Amino acid sequence: MARGTSAEAEPVLDIHDIQGNILTAFNKDHQRLVALRLRGIPAARRWLMRILPHINSLAEVNQFNNLYRMQSARLGHSPRGLTATWMNIAFSRDGIAKLTSDADADLLPDASFLTGLDKARAQFLGDQAPSGGDDPTVDWVVGGTNCPVDIFMILAGDDDMALRSMVERLRPGQEDGAEAPETVWEEQGDARDDLPGHEHFGFKDGISQPGVRGLLSKRPKLYLTERHLKPPPSETIEFAKPGQPLIWPGHFVLGYPFGDRDDGSRQDAVPLARSWFRNGSFLVFRRLEQHVAAFAAFVAAETARLSQLPGFSGITPDHLGALMVGRWPSGAPISRAPGQDDADLAKDPLSNNDFLFTIDTPPPQFLPGRGKGVGNFLRAMEGTNGPICPHAGHVFKVNPRDRSTDIGPDFDTLTRRILRRGIPFGPSLHQPLAGDDGVSRGLHFLCYQASITEQFEKLQQDWANNDDAPTAGGHDLIIGQTATAIRSMVLPPIVPGQAGVTMTAPRQWVTPTGGGYFFAPSIPAIRDVIGAG
Amino acid sequence: MKIALFDAPGNNGDFAGNPGLAAKWSAHMSATFDAGVQRVNDALAEAGGGTSQFYNPVTHGLTGPDVTPASAGDITWNGFPRKFLGAGPGAPPNFAAAEAPVVPGQAREQDEYLEWHVTRNPAGKIASVQFTCEGYDYYEFLGTEAPDVLVALYQKFIDPAVKKADLFSGGKYQRLNKWNTRDGAMHLTQSANALSAEVFLAADATVRRKNAAGAEVTSAIPLTICARFGDEDRNSDPTIGAGVNSFARQNRMITLADPVGLYIDQLDESGFRLPDGKPTTGWFTVQRGSAGHPLRAVFAPPAGSVFTVSDVKIGGTAVTFGGQIAQHITMKLTGVASIATPVHNPLVPCAGTSVSASVAASATSGLATRRGM
Repeated sequence: MARGTSAEAEPVLDIHDIQGNILTAFNKDHQRLVALRLRGIPAARRWLMRILPHINSLAEVNQFNNLYRMQSARLGHSPRGLTATWMNIAFSRDGIAKLTSDADADLLPDASFLTGLDKARAQFLGDQAPSGGDDPTVDWVVGGTNCPVDIFMILAGDDDMALRSMVERLRPGQEDGAEAPETVWEEQGDARDDLPGHEHFGFKDGISQPGVRGLLSKRPKLYLTERHLKPPPSETIEFAKPGQPLIWPGHFVLGYPFGDRDDGSRQDAVPLARSWFRNGSFLVFRRLEQHVAAFAAFVAAETARLSQLPGFSGITPDHLGALMVGRWPSGAPISRAPGQDDADLAKDPLSNNDFLFTIDTPPPQFLPGRGKGVGNFLRAMEGTNGPICPHAGHVFKVNPRDRSTDIGPDFDTLTRRILRRGIPFGPSLHQPLAGDDGVSRGLHFLCYQASITEQFEKLQQDWANNDDAPTAGGHDLIIGQTATAIRSMVLPPIVPGQAGVTMTAPRQWVTPTGGGYFFAPSIPAIRDVIGAG
Repeated sequence: MKIALFDAPGNNGDFAGNPGLAAKWSAHMSATFDAGVQRVNDALAEAGGGTSQFYNPVTHGLTGPDVTPASAGDITWNGFPRKFLGAGPGAPPNFAAAEAPVVPGQAREQDEYLEWHVTRNPAGKIASVQFTCEGYDYYEFLGTEAPDVLVALYQKFIDPAVKKADLFSGGKYQRLNKWNTRDGAMHLTQSANALSAEVFLAADATVRRKNAAGAEVTSAIPLTICARFGDEDRNSDPTIGAGVNSFARQNRMITLADPVGLYIDQLDESGFRLPDGKPTTGWFTVQRGSAGHPLRAVFAPPAGSVFTVSDVKIGGTAVTFGGQIAQHITMKLTGVASIATPVHNPLVPCAGTSVSASVAASATSGLATRRGM
């Protein structure tokens, strides 16, 4: 049986119809989120028609990103002055219903989207309610019980001033009339000045993203995701570049082929109840506040405790953090750098995501002309003393790669992947061991998928929150949520032949303070259906 | 690990005051483990021989240290049958098909070592959902060795009205009797849901395999197909096999933890809410087994509750099928692996590609009924 082979035809993507942030990321240093509530429907439609030409497509964003990459490669650094400012838009179930009909909205194919990220769904995700209550969303700054959202805008730019200007122009304003949508919340995320690309706990973020199958054009044959590697042996997952598996677009955009959960083979697209659902994608937003000082204090205290045990002699705070995350602060995977951080490995895009969890990871087989400059780092290996990355390490919990899970094999895991588009918010806390400064900071977590139920919620609720899934080994101490907030993880020893331990965290370091489930329709759907009435 | 005797699954207490029966069960399990070791030795013989990495902890128990913490040996899987999941992104599971009514003589389609029986009240609302994960071969053992114990279990957990004649025919225990099919779920019915199948699966999975190209087979489904140790369409078998095999690839000695069994690991009740907004605390009750080894549980309103199971919502979605609860049950078995790494065995060709076909053909009836064998 051929499993996940590239011989099967990949579909041509409707690159002018799909919104640009879905399949190829905006990737900007500044990103503003604007949450709107509908007032008058005619006024909302007029506003939608006004901003319609500013909604950026996959074609536009992809072309810019390619140009940016080409110039970066030629210059050896980021091309200064080459900037862009983008905007995309999405709608909650109620937003869609008000602008079309309840009947149409309820035909959208995802149960979690239809429920919405309300009190019940937040409880399902394990979110904690304030003491004495049962509604985790009651204090949310956006979404949930007290701040429902109909429309959600994402605006992003390389240049902060240009972005602010675009927000002013596109956000509903006086020119749109008194009945235009009301801005109920707005917040900007920015790459950290001191550690660009790192989240607030200090770890490089966003390294691992799946490669989406599909063609930008048939003649010439241009893939959305550039191919660096030869097709693999049968029965194994095909990768675009080391560590980046190829996944059928139907797992991210409605109306396209998806992959079989047993063998990755192409399956025909799921039929859609309305033609305008095609080229749309479901968007999850979570405003995740990070308690940086508490995290740093825990890591310091546990390091001191563990270092007294034979199995953890010599452990450092960075090493313990790397065991909890699965990557060192630089982003170097602990599976390839078991003893200490490796900045060169972290910077090598052909190596920093190239690792499996259950076997000695085979060397990549590059296509002719590819693979230049790939570093010669330790291959990720299972080793004779067991896995190096704990099964509760964050990168294992949300992407167990080749490890079989509680719900299926490695090909099933491909069907759970999401396209992450997050960015930090709030200022850096420069001396976390000195204590908290009382300032709100964290991550605007954003991800796209074809099914919130089967993708985001599986990762969060079934895996991160569960001490025995995707495989036994404990909770994801970074993002996991539990009813008691007490979580634990199994730490394999860092000294071979010695005993491992179970480490328990008495509290959570990430608290959801806002969020919502949305649908990002195709640009024609906004023009011809949602905005047209 | 070295133990003196195999205890009953889940330390269930069925042998209390009856050491003779306990000894018979231990001997039965010991023979099953020995058969598992023999399967491994037969497979290794095809590659020139080696040392079975699977061992019987009673007759050949190891006194050296094992991997710690003990939970590192847990292998887990979801209790809802994979074959009833939706066909693609956004497609809901087929809950109705997963719990289609069965009649006496008919096994359930629930094949993840977890089966359940839904009881509805006259208004059609779900009154309770019984879950069991006990292998049918344990009950066949009781049927042969202690029929009165078996009948008492049915009377305790299914209905006091159960009579011995309902369960036996011609002196032989009938596992697909009406009380274990149409009217309840005392133990697993699906043909592959046997305790011996668990032992043989674990044993077979300690054999390191290679494909026709000579490469070691490690991925769950290819390994399942290659070694022929189960059904590749399940959550459980490929995951159990791959988990055990990963220990084998670390050159460890492996066995199953006592009490040997398949267990309900946990029900995740996050998001389970009653109409009054309260969680379903006290609704999921373990009825049989011991701490860490639940064999049987029921999801039902506690005494005095005005609600039914149908009133419960999970993440805002009303419960209309027992399978919605099963989706949140994690199952487990526990393996034990040595820290020491004394074994270096050769890779064995896939079953059926050489003389190993005869090994596969000797599989027990439970395994042999699985698809693809």
